[in-house]
Amino acid sequence: MQPDGYSKTLLQVTGLTAGYGRIQVLWGVDLCVHEHESIVLLGANGAGKTTLLKAIMGLIEAWGGQVDFGGVNITRLRTDHRVRRGIVYMSEASGFVGLTVEENILIGAQFLPRSQIRGRADELYAVFPALAERRRALVSSLSGGQRKMVGIAKALAGNPRLIVMDEPSAGLSPLFVKEVVRVLTQFRAKDLALLIAEQNVKFLELADRVYTLDNGRIGFFGTVSEIHKNDALRRAYFGLK
Amino acid sequence: MLLYTLLAGLLFGLYFSLIGLGLNLVFGVMRIVNLAHGDFLMLGAFLAFWLFTLFAVNPISAIPIVFALFAVVGLPLYYLLVPRLLKARDPEMLSFILFFGLSQVIEAITTIAFGTSERSIPGVQLGIVIATVKGLFVGHKVDNGPIEIFGQTFPAAWVASGVVSGLAVLFVYLYLYRTRLGYLTRAVMVNREEAIATGINVHRVSAFAFGIGLGLAAVAGVFAPFMLGSITPAMGVEVTVTSFTVIVIGSLGNPLGTVLGGLVYGISYMFMQSYYSSWANLLPYLLLIAILLVRPSGLLGRQVRRA
Repeated sequence: MQPDGYSKTLLQVTGLTAGYGRIQVLWGVDLCVHEHESIVLLGANGAGKTTLLKAIMGLIEAWGGQVDFGGVNITRLRTDHRVRRGIVYMSEASGFVGLTVEENILIGAQFLPRSQIRGRADELYAVFPALAERRRALVSSLSGGQRKMVGIAKALAGNPRLIVMDEPSAGLSPLFVKEVVRVLTQFRAKDLALLIAEQNVKFLELADRVYTLDNGRIGFFGTVSEIHKNDALRRAYFGLK
Repeated sequence: MLLYTLLAGLLFGLYFSLIGLGLNLVFGVMRIVNLAHGDFLMLGAFLAFWLFTLFAVNPISAIPIVFALFAVVGLPLYYLLVPRLLKARDPEMLSFILFFGLSQVIEAITTIAFGTSERSIPGVQLGIVIATVKGLFVGHKVDNGPIEIFGQTFPAAWVASGVVSGLAVLFVYLYLYRTRLGYLTRAVMVNREEAIATGINVHRVSAFAFGIGLGLAAVAGVFAPFMLGSITPAMGVEVTVTSFTVIVIGSLGNPLGTVLGGLVYGISYMFMQSYYSSWANLLPYLLLIAILLVRPSGLLGRQVRRA
């Protein structure tokens, strides 16, 4: 189960069930992310990807099963306490549109010691020069791609151990998708683990392992090369015959 | 006459901004309508009245006491009422019912405690403060009579109310745009779910906003005897309607839009009082209907209103 080169399990999801009202969406999901590992969660619309990420973050209540982070059971922990522990969620919304770029980054860095916040913001501006130029601009005045960068910068600002990302490619042109992948690759090298729910197979470039989610159940997990060898998966996710 | 009406409208407009400010802050952060807002204003007015009557505390000196007391009361009240409300399927609609009930309870208890008679504080109390402050600037004693602005004479109480209301607006601006708590509050206003996902403790942020909202209502209450005539336990409902009109005109959910709503309302009110006084009481309802028909998102527009 544990691939070579990864020392510790960072996130362990065991038998997770969840849903909305009386409708069950997740049916006993098992998933793990190791330290510094990058996981891509593939699934069609309605497969339950967002629900799984929200349940991991405590944004919706888990009906059953367990979520452990860093060896601690966080299943009943409030979301802000999970964020303090180093697990951060990047939704499709990508930042607060009525706030400035700088304010978004400061919100992302809210749990860092005060003395480190300025330095962390400057580090991020070095990675996102386009944001540095527009740090006082409202996010609502930025392009879709720049907003996505704000979302990523906000998620990175708190120096998390794991970022849980919901469709980072949503609404982006192929050029910006490439840019998002480039930035994430850069941060992956710095002790960061990623769990990315996506439909865009471009993100497989980042993946150490892949999970597929079908109707709220894990269908497949393995490496990217294994997914390429599986005809059914190739047809389902790459449109190949 | 025209200049007098306009300037008086500005002074009243600032005061009406203060009346609506707390209500709009609470709506902006929590998306709930506090129909007991006017009753908290009435309680603030009674507190100022009793502080003056029993301990001779000048209304201006009473402001920090009244604000702090109501802001502190607002914190436990938030945790008692709002988190449960927000878990409901339609919190906005339920908030109408819950806070209407609270409004009735507050009015009934205040009526039992103080009776229905009208009470007031002499306007000269605010004149004394203004004369003292003015005396410090000019270096000699100044009479505490009416104040002249651009050749027009206004009661000192109106000017004091206008100045304090302006300072309250500035306070809210600094809180929202110059403090850490402020940008966390604005983040909750923009997208509550995203705020939770980002790790913001939305209940703590909302509780502070609720407390500040109640505090601002109570501060507006301190000036009610001078700007609204007198205070009675039954005044809350009318004040709530006025506040609601002011924030709908400005923009629901945008606290600083309340200033625009307050000024439009205040100037319209003064023009009605000056030229069609018998129609003046209809103004809140007429403006409310007009703005909802013509520009339902308020004068400041779409992006801030989600109701």
